[in-house]
Amino acid sequence: MTSTVRTRRFIVIGLLPALLLFSFFVIIPIIWSAYYGFFDWKGIGTAKFIGFDNYSEIIHDEVFWRSLKNNMLVVAASVFGQVPIALVLALLLLKNSWIHKFIRTAVFMPMVLSSVVVGIIWGYIYHPEIGILNFLLDSLGLESWKRQWLGDPAVSMYSLMVPIIWNYIGPYLIMFIAALHNIPSEMDDAAKIDGAKGSRKLFSLTLPLIWDTIKVAVVLCISGSLKSFDLIYIMTGGGPAHSTELLASYMYNNTFAIYRFGYGSAVSTAIIIISLFLIAGSQYLMKSKNR
Amino acid sequence: MNKKLSIVATSLVTTSILLAACGSNGDTNSNSNGKEKVMLSLWHNYTGDDQRAQTMRAIIEQYQKDHPEVELDVQAIPPDGYRTRLKTVAAANEMPDLFVMWPGVMTKEFQSGNLLQPINELLDSKKEWKDGFLPGSFDGFSIGEDIFSAPIALSPTSILYYNKSILEENGLQPPKTWDELMNAVTVLKEKKITPIALGNKAAWLAQSSIFSSLADRVTGTEWFLKAAAQDGAKFTDPEFVEALTYLQDLGKAGAFQDGFNSIDNTQMEQYFAQGKAAMMIDGGWALTNLAASASKETLEQMGATVLPSIPGGKGDPNTISGVVGTGIGMSSKVKDAKKQAAYDLMYAMAGPDAQKRVLESNQLVSYKVDLDKTKVTPIFAEVYDLVNSVTTTPVYDGVMSSAVADELNNGLQDLLMGGKPEEIAKKVQAAQEKEAK
Repeated sequence: MTSTVRTRRFIVIGLLPALLLFSFFVIIPIIWSAYYGFFDWKGIGTAKFIGFDNYSEIIHDEVFWRSLKNNMLVVAASVFGQVPIALVLALLLLKNSWIHKFIRTAVFMPMVLSSVVVGIIWGYIYHPEIGILNFLLDSLGLESWKRQWLGDPAVSMYSLMVPIIWNYIGPYLIMFIAALHNIPSEMDDAAKIDGAKGSRKLFSLTLPLIWDTIKVAVVLCISGSLKSFDLIYIMTGGGPAHSTELLASYMYNNTFAIYRFGYGSAVSTAIIIISLFLIAGSQYLMKSKNR
Repeated sequence: MNKKLSIVATSLVTTSILLAACGSNGDTNSNSNGKEKVMLSLWHNYTGDDQRAQTMRAIIEQYQKDHPEVELDVQAIPPDGYRTRLKTVAAANEMPDLFVMWPGVMTKEFQSGNLLQPINELLDSKKEWKDGFLPGSFDGFSIGEDIFSAPIALSPTSILYYNKSILEENGLQPPKTWDELMNAVTVLKEKKITPIALGNKAAWLAQSSIFSSLADRVTGTEWFLKAAAQDGAKFTDPEFVEALTYLQDLGKAGAFQDGFNSIDNTQMEQYFAQGKAAMMIDGGWALTNLAASASKETLEQMGATVLPSIPGGKGDPNTISGVVGTGIGMSSKVKDAKKQAAYDLMYAMAGPDAQKRVLESNQLVSYKVDLDKTKVTPIFAEVYDLVNSVTTTPVYDGVMSSAVADELNNGLQDLLMGGKPEEIAKKVQAAQEKEAK
């Protein structure tokens, strides 16, 4: 037995437990769920095989498309909100003085709060009767800016983005700071010798060196926001009249509120497909940018 | 050798972890005398701090004390998640022995999945108890001759609560007709008082509390039952569109406070309890909350009546939409000694004593009990009298399937934001047609 074969065998055995758990709790449920998507099933009683009917209903359901659109808005807000803000903060808060540490902690804080708590806090900020935001606008003499932040479909989706961005800056900030600390100091010295400063240094040295981290952050961001559910569920429940529905809440409502398990399964399969496409697409885009 | 050992060890660990994760405990158990103890599982949603929940918990504890030969496995699940949990175990065919369940759609679904067994035997053995229920109490729990539960609550869903002092100060009377209601809205609006408190975030409230009665006034009960069965009537019929238009007019007149789509039922009850709104259209469930959150003086200021009549409406104005509330259901798997124990517990929780204690906890019941008015709040006594003097009409989501009710709920939210009544009617009709297929 050669040593490479032995190592390889050991790697397989070492991975086996994790692989088994992963397939039991992730892969198999995904396949099951896609399979249930072919049935008309209320969760109780017999399931009736209906072929692609659920999937074609998804394509024809305007609420699904609205959820998809809202979800894309959330993805955009996360990718173009969370990541750049986290990056800028990371660049500003790189030093280890106490004030920097304090601000870093403050930015990370929402992350350790349960999203139910965050949802309730922001629910009160936006509250139509006793909300701080409307109260603040009142006292600044900006009555005309007052809105029903969560009740008016024209603004509710945008109101929801603020807590979503605010809530998840923390982890990206930590990732970026770690990446920035990993840049070898020789690079800094070399940049100094070559006379690169300020934005020139940022764009030619710092950003390319942490580009991989940014890519990871963007992927996490996309997959995270496609799954986003908790904050919206607490704050609006997808309402009023489906105006803030996201893919996950649409799936949840169909499955657990009106008990169409088959249809809900089909929707979750659709979500997986959309997520895979988005992530593949973003990977491709960022790869070509790197060249 | 060493390598082989490690392979064996790794796979052992893996399998044991997996087995531990998948395994479950058996449910037979014997006590020290060698005599078999009866294991009985019960799921309920009496987790709150309100009087009714406390009373029910006390009854269950008492039963356990009186029956040492029974080992109760009680799971108390908060109301918000209860239905979902129950439906989930129903999907997996792992029902507890006894559980709190709803009449109507849920009973039908469970019965068609063979998850329930009838309790006619128990009811017939206690004739006096069975006869004590108000007429129609078992309707929602019956399929054919089989009765599956006895209700422990009555939920009128649409009572017009009003604040006597606010109405008096503005020279108004509790509205009896639609015009009086619209007039009250205008007068109160001018004085910058919220006419009607509404919290429709969860979307079912406008449907269950306002629309179920309002639409009944316009269309009459017969039309609704026909439309729900798609038998000679459709939701696109002019009378349904007219009912939707009435609700929209009320919204357009500014009857509800700002942001009613983003506050919930409890917040709306508090808003009314604090005297910030002149009226509120809410169900009988508000009574326990009001008793808990309003001061004694405010409670004395509250009155209750039926929704106003509609000019030319086909329905009887002296009605309240309502359903009998939850009861205890029994799993089809319960047999032998377990069955007797289950019957005893069911009787303890829904029998005459329990009904009386529940009523005295400010919760209406569908059972003939003489109410001792000193034990409850004045508004409860008023609602109790009101409910006993009117007839009950169906609630929309008690008759419609959950998918159609969901369409209507969202439609009503849309309607109050300016959606077209005709289009909402069309969507409801489409959902109903799909369901009938």
